[in-house]
Amino acid sequence: MLVSLLSSQYDRIQALAEAWLAQGAQAFGIFERGRALAYWPSGQRLLPADLSAPIHYYDQIVGELRLSGIRHKVAQQRLQADASMIGYILQLEYELQCVTADLVTSQDQQLALYRLTQAMRDLVTIRETLATVVSEGQRMLKGRGGFATYVPTQGGDPLVVQSAETSLNTETIWRLFWQLQTADRPLLLNDSDSDLLRPPGVHNLLLIPIRVRGMVVASLGIMNRAEGFGTPELKLGRAIADQASAQIERILLYQEMVEQARLRSEMDLARRVQTDLLPRTLPEVSGLDIFAYSRPALQVGGDFFDFINLPNHPFIFTIGDVSGKGVSAALLMSMTRTALHSKAQFMPSPTPALVMRQSNEDLYNDFTRIGVFATVFVGQYDAEQRAITYANAGHAPVIYRPYNGRAELLLADNTAIGILPTNHFQNRSLKMAAGDVLVIATDGFSDARNEHDEMFGIERLLIAIDELADRSAREIADALFNVVDRFSAGHPQDDDQTLIVLKGVAP
Amino acid sequence: MEMKPRTVGKVAVLAIEGRFDASTAPPVQHWLEQVTANPGARVLVDLSETTFVDSTALATLVSAMKRCQQVQGEFALCGLRRPVLMIFELTRLDKAFNIFVDSDHALAVLSA
Repeated sequence: MLVSLLSSQYDRIQALAEAWLAQGAQAFGIFERGRALAYWPSGQRLLPADLSAPIHYYDQIVGELRLSGIRHKVAQQRLQADASMIGYILQLEYELQCVTADLVTSQDQQLALYRLTQAMRDLVTIRETLATVVSEGQRMLKGRGGFATYVPTQGGDPLVVQSAETSLNTETIWRLFWQLQTADRPLLLNDSDSDLLRPPGVHNLLLIPIRVRGMVVASLGIMNRAEGFGTPELKLGRAIADQASAQIERILLYQEMVEQARLRSEMDLARRVQTDLLPRTLPEVSGLDIFAYSRPALQVGGDFFDFINLPNHPFIFTIGDVSGKGVSAALLMSMTRTALHSKAQFMPSPTPALVMRQSNEDLYNDFTRIGVFATVFVGQYDAEQRAITYANAGHAPVIYRPYNGRAELLLADNTAIGILPTNHFQNRSLKMAAGDVLVIATDGFSDARNEHDEMFGIERLLIAIDELADRSAREIADALFNVVDRFSAGHPQDDDQTLIVLKGVAP
Repeated sequence: MEMKPRTVGKVAVLAIEGRFDASTAPPVQHWLEQVTANPGARVLVDLSETTFVDSTALATLVSAMKRCQQVQGEFALCGLRRPVLMIFELTRLDKAFNIFVDSDHALAVLSA
């Protein structure tokens, strides 16, 4: 210890020696365990010491100064002061070394943490992240074993990752994790702790919680460090856990973004299936003013409408609602629409009841397997009779308003398609003279809710249609959409809203 | 929505409270799938505290009824409030289901 001081501060100590010699001393030396480390004048043989002063380093004596040729009290005092000063310099040197060492360690740790962040940046799974945190944590904290756990907050399997050197059974790891979650602070087990606390194979352990969004969802455990775990390891462990937490949060955000994009594209697909398959133009039928429109909800339902308007063929229209939401409802809607369309188009002499019966038979088994049904209204216009023949499979609301009467709700005669294996549909008939109005809507209208959770209901539809009856089919439809929008202002559209408006006009 | 399942003798009973619609149907469907899996299953859905049903809810009930038929079981509804009964009438599902005024009447028939 004194040797290193001598080598770094040789000039200053020699200055002390020269001052003593100038004052009349015959020799001055600095000794360690009785051996001279330096002696002045140089080349001088050792003389017996007349005065000596011990050099204190904290509480121990690490050497002494010896002086020959002077022996008075003042010299003794001065020699002791020199020895104290050297001792104090020794202490300062030691403290400087400690601070330097701490600085280097902390720099190393910062560098290691930076490398850890870099290493984790490209990881896209939580398992990879845990594996990296375990191996890096074990290396940085000088443990001989390590593990990490993760419990997803929204479904999915919990994860345990152990380093290659670790072979704890997973039950033990989970027990430690639950203990950590309950305590909500790092768990520190040292060799001095009772065997009851330490699982087999664990001499010492540092288990640190990894918080994501305020909850302890993961943990990092480092074990069997030769020197045990103390405050510096705890600090470093926490820093590693913070890095892991940030990375897990990033991964979760990424996964949520992907999931949202998937849902969005699925909803877009459903909406496109629905809107692209609906007729783009309105049919022109002598004696009828026709308007139809479908507005899908955010969570697309299964509404549809369709027209069959061919030369030498009766004009047939269909409207329906398949139960369910999203892509499946959109696909089933297109299946139902196609079944109805082909029956209506290719049957030799179609009637609504026949179209309905055949479609029900076609669709029943598939609908039963999937667990859905479809309410359908099929109408057929007879230009000569100026009448509409229809069959209604559980569809509502259907509202008829004769030119000189009040709007009334027409109840269905039959259950929806897909409910009974054979369904004896009935044809009904309605006059469709000039001014008579028929509105077939879907339950997206009658079930629309306002901010107080009240339903629009059928009564409001009847009143609105009575008021609007003298307008054109398009004006009636526009006004009905407006009325329902005004009613449900502030409440999102829960279900598709679709309607067909037919009005008798002079041919 | 709240589900209150119970068993009365051989009959599995489910009371549904509140709105029964697309967003609340999955747990009901799960329960119905389990109880309708047994041969001769007797199932009663009590709608006396149900305030609203949508088409997804109706489809859930229709599937359960069909599954019950496949296992030679029985499926019934009871206690429909006026607005809910109206939805059944509008869609003519009142013709397809076995509907009782209350659970006492339904259980008397299903337990026989």
